[in-house]
Amino acid sequence: MRIDEYKQESEMLNPGHNACPGCGAALAVRYLTRALGPNLAIVLTASCWSIISGMPPLTALKCPILHCPFPSAGSVGSGLRRGLNARGQHNTTVVVLAGDGGTFDIGLQALSGAAQRNEDYLFVCYDNEAYMNTGMQTSSATPFGARTNTAPYPLFKEGQKKDIMQIMAAHGIPYAATATVAFPDDMERKLKKAQEIRGFRFMHILSPCPPGWGTDSSDTIHLSRLAVNTGFFPLYEIVNGVSWKMTCQPEGKRTPLKEYLQNQRRFKQMEDLRIEALQEEVDHDWEALQEKIEATKCSD
Amino acid sequence: MLPDITTEKLVYAHGTESSAVNKTGEWRFMTPERMPGLSPCRQGCLLDGEVPAWLEAVKREQWEEAWQIMRRNNPFPALTGYTCFHPCTENCNREQLDSGIDIPSVEKAIGLWRLDQYKPGQQRDLLKDEIAVIGSGPAGLSCAYYLNQVGYRVTVYEKSDQIGGMLALGIPEYRLPRSILNKELNLLKEEGVEFVTGCEIGQDLSLDELYEKYSEVFLAPGAWKSRKAGIPGEESRGVWNALDFLSEFNSGKQPEVKDPVIVIGGGNAAIDSARSALRMNGVNHVTLVYRRSRAEMPAYQPEVEAAENEGVELIFNALPGKIDTVDGRVSGAEFNYSKTNRQGLVVDKSSSFHKSCGTVIMALGQEQDSSIFSSLEKDVSFYAGGDLVTGPATVSEAIRAGRIAAEAMIARLENLPEPELCLPVEDPISFEDLYLEASVNLEIKDQQEMPEKEASRCLGCGTCNSCGICYLFCPDMAIDIVDGRYELNLDYCKGCGICYRECPSRALILKGGK
Repeated sequence: MRIDEYKQESEMLNPGHNACPGCGAALAVRYLTRALGPNLAIVLTASCWSIISGMPPLTALKCPILHCPFPSAGSVGSGLRRGLNARGQHNTTVVVLAGDGGTFDIGLQALSGAAQRNEDYLFVCYDNEAYMNTGMQTSSATPFGARTNTAPYPLFKEGQKKDIMQIMAAHGIPYAATATVAFPDDMERKLKKAQEIRGFRFMHILSPCPPGWGTDSSDTIHLSRLAVNTGFFPLYEIVNGVSWKMTCQPEGKRTPLKEYLQNQRRFKQMEDLRIEALQEEVDHDWEALQEKIEATKCSD
Repeated sequence: MLPDITTEKLVYAHGTESSAVNKTGEWRFMTPERMPGLSPCRQGCLLDGEVPAWLEAVKREQWEEAWQIMRRNNPFPALTGYTCFHPCTENCNREQLDSGIDIPSVEKAIGLWRLDQYKPGQQRDLLKDEIAVIGSGPAGLSCAYYLNQVGYRVTVYEKSDQIGGMLALGIPEYRLPRSILNKELNLLKEEGVEFVTGCEIGQDLSLDELYEKYSEVFLAPGAWKSRKAGIPGEESRGVWNALDFLSEFNSGKQPEVKDPVIVIGGGNAAIDSARSALRMNGVNHVTLVYRRSRAEMPAYQPEVEAAENEGVELIFNALPGKIDTVDGRVSGAEFNYSKTNRQGLVVDKSSSFHKSCGTVIMALGQEQDSSIFSSLEKDVSFYAGGDLVTGPATVSEAIRAGRIAAEAMIARLENLPEPELCLPVEDPISFEDLYLEASVNLEIKDQQEMPEKEASRCLGCGTCNSCGICYLFCPDMAIDIVDGRYELNLDYCKGCGICYRECPSRALILKGGK
């Protein structure tokens, strides 16, 4: 990807949308729509993006958006795909856009059903690690140790972040990948690859949330990059649920997790012991991921 | 089959319109702003040139724009591209990544583009006052250029028959092709600058007369008086002083030189003389003798290396004691070894050596000749620049002096405020200040052709180099692409500061408030 090849005309996100300053989700959807557009239809479940997209008659996207109830994103996506197919609009890409709540918790059963049926659309989860739109309540995507409004000091989120990628891999879907906003070229490549594939595709996009995470709005890209460099959010793709591949790992040693945590207010009162526990967890997940990637290399 | 409804129709079927009517810039609590910082190349530049800015224009292949930026500080990029020693390249931050930017080649390319593209426009009416410039060297030419551009009638007086001063007579052809110089001079003539050659001020015309005729006079006669060594045999046949030798050589005459040649001195004139002598017919061996060590040589080191590679023999820490003659002609020279201690240079009379030769070229440095002022009896304030003020210096410093004199004259004649002379005194942006996190992962614009390719390698260091990272990372679509440049659109900027944080060149600042 070369930046100078980007044309403003090919952008599908309108200015004047309602996202907070420094919003990672707005950026994620900007890359998403630019990569997949212009023949695109979006199913949008209740999430920050329901607000960002604006009040009718205004819209933040240059493509149709179908708003749907919170738990039904997976099913509405299936319906829209089949409806478009019935009209002969096979070339329109259907994207279901859901936050982490609409994917990890409330939307999981419809998502699982659609994945099991191998419906032909792309499910994109932009993950800001809590129910940010309704006021920062804990979701099952909230990482261990973080404080939210339902787990205020001295409480904290207990238990691990749900490993949604393993769940999706277990469904044996044709394509699943992780991406984040600091690596737009990596994200764009994955989206274009997913667009070529028929069947159920899943993208997990980490999108930092300055008000929810308690970070400076200018740190969005920096944090997103640190999440990858620390191994907290590795960038990889899974083909057919079995073939794992690392896509964009910066060279050299991983940065200590502490650097990623220290500038976020939600981790501010985290004791060293818990930071160590989270670091161990990240290391463990990293090793497990590397084993899967090695196993894929051996079987090839 | 059902009719195909495109997604576009679907959007507008619901009567939706773009959220662009929401001017989200009203939410802004911080405002990014472009604020050029000082790069090492700008700090090094003898002409205060805006190096990263014209490199950026070349990267976008906007040559006219590059020339317009260039001419603010340097009206003769072709001349400086060839002759300047380019201190701008010395501390390039890119060196710490791979290799420094080849700034001279881009500068030269802008200069050559300008010479190629120049078309004499309509004859401009030069309506403002008449101004005289004494000396047609780089300082005089630069002063004449700037005055001419704003409409003054300029006459340049030159004592020799050739226009160009040191450019024509001092600098050898291999360092500055005469075709380039002539083009540059023709261009000035086309623009309406008048030249009077063979007219020495102080002899043919007095300064007083000039002050009567012209509103302002700029003195840039240079420093042409050669220093003497004060040793026996200095006046004999076959002993040249470097400037006379170079003038003859550069004006196409064959100065009388017999092999082998000894050049005495360690400055740029010495190196130029040695390299020029080596290019003459019948000269096979040139030796350069300098009284101090190699590190103390005032000459530009790459030129010294070039001379050595061409076969000039270098002898250090030796002083001429006397020049031997046979029938009034040079036959050799006697040298004493010297060394530098706390008292300065000490000559060791006991150890000496003899070298036989056919020619000696004395390059012991030049001095300003103040005799020009003897013809000035009026009580006037005057402008002066170039070697007359600084002593022997470089082409670039002289061009800068000409520019400053022109600006000051214009300010005085038109009652404008005094122009600022210097760049802000601050530390230049270092490699550690740059933020290259994003650019190492992204493929930045890469041009295929030189010199655009070279220009596109510039990291900016405080000046926007149009890498586009701010555009890429803006969540609010508040950066517009205008003719390949990235412009902030404050209608939509919410002030998140991502552009400021991620800017690799550190060309943005973030201010509080709207």
